[in-house]
Amino acid sequence: MAAMMTGSTGLKRWVERYPFLPALLILIVLLALNGFYQPRSVSMAGITGLTKTYLALMLLAVAQTYVVYAGDIDLSAGAILSLVNVVIVVLMQHWGGGALSVFGAIGVGLLVGLACGLINGVVVAALRLQAIVATFATSIFFTGLALYVLPVAGTPAPAAFWRTYGGRFLDIPFVFYAVVVLALLLRLLVRMRLSLQLLAVGDDAQRAFQSGLAVTAIRMKGYALCGLFAALAAFCVTGDTASGDPLVGGKMTLFSVAAVVLGGSALAGGYGTVVGSVFGALIIGLINSLVYFVGTPSEWQNLLQGLAILVALMAGVIVGRRARA
Amino acid sequence: MSKLKLGGVSKAYGATMALRRGDLEVEAGEVHVLIGSNGSGKSTLCKIAAGSVRPDAGEVSIDGQPVRISGPQAARSLGIGIFYQELSLAAHRTVAENIFLPDLPVTAGLFVDRAALSGRAARYTALFDGVAGDGLSTDAVVENLRADQRQLVEIMKALATEAPILIFDEPTSALDRAQVDRFFDILRDLKGQGRAMIFISHRMDEIFAIGDRVTVMRDGETVATARIADTDQAEVVRHMVGEAGQGAQAAAPAPVAEGETVLAVRGISGVGYSGVSFEVRKGEILGFGGLHGQGQSRVLRAIFGAHPVASGEILLHGTRLAARGPREAIRSGLAYVSGDRGRDGVIHGRPILENVIPIHALRQRLHLANPAALRQKAQAAVEALRTKFAGFSHPINSLSGGNQQKIVIARWLIDRPDVLLLDDPTKGIDLSAKADLFALIRRLAAEGLGIVLYSSEDAELLANADRILVFNGGRVTRELTGEARTRFNLTQAAYEAA
Repeated sequence: MAAMMTGSTGLKRWVERYPFLPALLILIVLLALNGFYQPRSVSMAGITGLTKTYLALMLLAVAQTYVVYAGDIDLSAGAILSLVNVVIVVLMQHWGGGALSVFGAIGVGLLVGLACGLINGVVVAALRLQAIVATFATSIFFTGLALYVLPVAGTPAPAAFWRTYGGRFLDIPFVFYAVVVLALLLRLLVRMRLSLQLLAVGDDAQRAFQSGLAVTAIRMKGYALCGLFAALAAFCVTGDTASGDPLVGGKMTLFSVAAVVLGGSALAGGYGTVVGSVFGALIIGLINSLVYFVGTPSEWQNLLQGLAILVALMAGVIVGRRARA
Repeated sequence: MSKLKLGGVSKAYGATMALRRGDLEVEAGEVHVLIGSNGSGKSTLCKIAAGSVRPDAGEVSIDGQPVRISGPQAARSLGIGIFYQELSLAAHRTVAENIFLPDLPVTAGLFVDRAALSGRAARYTALFDGVAGDGLSTDAVVENLRADQRQLVEIMKALATEAPILIFDEPTSALDRAQVDRFFDILRDLKGQGRAMIFISHRMDEIFAIGDRVTVMRDGETVATARIADTDQAEVVRHMVGEAGQGAQAAAPAPVAEGETVLAVRGISGVGYSGVSFEVRKGEILGFGGLHGQGQSRVLRAIFGAHPVASGEILLHGTRLAARGPREAIRSGLAYVSGDRGRDGVIHGRPILENVIPIHALRQRLHLANPAALRQKAQAAVEALRTKFAGFSHPINSLSGGNQQKIVIARWLIDRPDVLLLDDPTKGIDLSAKADLFALIRRLAAEGLGIVLYSSEDAELLANADRILVFNGGRVTRELTGEARTRFNLTQAAYEAA
């Protein structure tokens, strides 16, 4: 074993086993850069703020990962997030904003996410439409529903909701509990048979079919899982922004795809990890804050963000290739 | 009463009849050999039994009971397991995950039971202990395995179904002799347990070594079934070929005149081969022999620029060839045909014409295509190979394996190369297509090409190569010329310790 750990073969084994290692490396570098330009950004308050803002993207990246596992894609993930966001805000307002209304709304929100995921699953896996175009179409459809539920952004979420999300328990910020729960949840999901089946389908759908896997059902379950995690992401967005916005998630869709790729998963399917996608989402978050901390004028921030994401993507590819060669 | 019976099964893909009338009866406790040229319908028949292809007509019954096999899952629950010729493995998953992919052990109905998974998988990997080679463990990723090891994993996957009916569609094509022997031991053991087995192979000796009965298919129809003990190779071949024995056997090679050296390889080494030197003269067919996977393919790919060369030099017409990739090798006049046409040759889903012209387009630096002119050039190249096809615009996948390979070879014939590298070119190809291919190879040699032929079938080498280099452990261990080219010498050299 000791011999295998040395040299390039040892590294190869490590990266093969943990495809997110390059992403973790980039993450650490970015964290160090953030600390260098703005020491306060790596303080407790800084990390809490970053987690609070990007927990939603982490969850959406996880959502996207499950469909990418199977070689599919969900361009409606952000629209599902928006829909769930406005549905729970409107419901909580309607039901009076108490604790019971919050739990009720969260339950309905999960059901909405699941339903949207199942619609995508039916359209892509059962009707066999092209995933990119079909989920692009359903994203417009879901956005339309969100606009019907709440035509104008701005309805506030009840204080009980966002105070909890932004608050502390036993002096520890709530979001860290959420991260721990997410970690435990992902740990369970990694061991789930469905994860393995999704990866096998993504590897080669025909071969998976010939092996006796129910390919259509498995892909549909992937989309359902994606819808559920998009709903969880919506709860975080609602806690962070404390309001309903029917267009809040639209921009996040492609960021979630980018996070999946930055995390080392193959868009073609069959290869990847959810943990990597979480790191990918954090990389995007850290890039955004770094661009701000180095004092970029506001008109140049987008350009620099785009360049930095490209660099991170290249770095991941180069590190991965070195390790696997 | 037969364990498995297929009666009058047929399947058409569009206008192509893949299977006209397939009949097959397999008894419990027998190895039933299915033989026939490529495109004769064997694989389709097997896939119908395994549920991955739905028949247009015909009946299937198990233990005398008519059954409807609606899909691979249904076949499994009816007790049918299959080894797929093209393998059904997920490249990024581990050996254990692949073996049990159809039926993963779970706890609480949701989570993969890792301990049970590797424990149960270890029972099947243990079956090939000692012959599987390095790196085949339950936690190895399939992508990192050699072709023969992947084939062993597919065998394990079929065995792990523990199904009473097992179908093996060319399970031995990439295996070496020790692996085949072990596999046959396992088959004999299963036979003793009363399993019914279907076995497909293109190797005649294997068929007679393991089979109890043989069913011959030709042009999508079952033509004969006989007990192995009551028949012989000649009779089986006669059934396969149809009207009395069209000669699939090639004559002994003509002695070559001393031509100039076209290709000289001096001491090249790289991953999987070392210190390989040889020369090929104009008009000569140089054979590479030995057990499978001893570096023959790698040397050919290295010369072609598709596999790295660490040291040594390659001279083409006396000038050093520094091909950094296949593109430059092609432009310098090298041609390479792989037996793995699915991976290296065929452009899937594209018309036949597009599959014939890419090399021509590359060498002539064509950027705009003139379909009419290209069609004429392609026609000439394809006719040289007696390829059967309906039209240039049909997708290449509509052809049988043998005809696909002819198209792949035809693409090198529009602009003549100087050296043709053949990397087990007849893998999985039927006898009549093989005969056509070798006739062409000899004609090309006679016209002055230098040819290097690696074949995993000794008979092909002995019948066609003027000289044979025997590979063992990545090195050339023996050179057989003239009278020394005998099956005995070839086998002996292949099995010598490296």
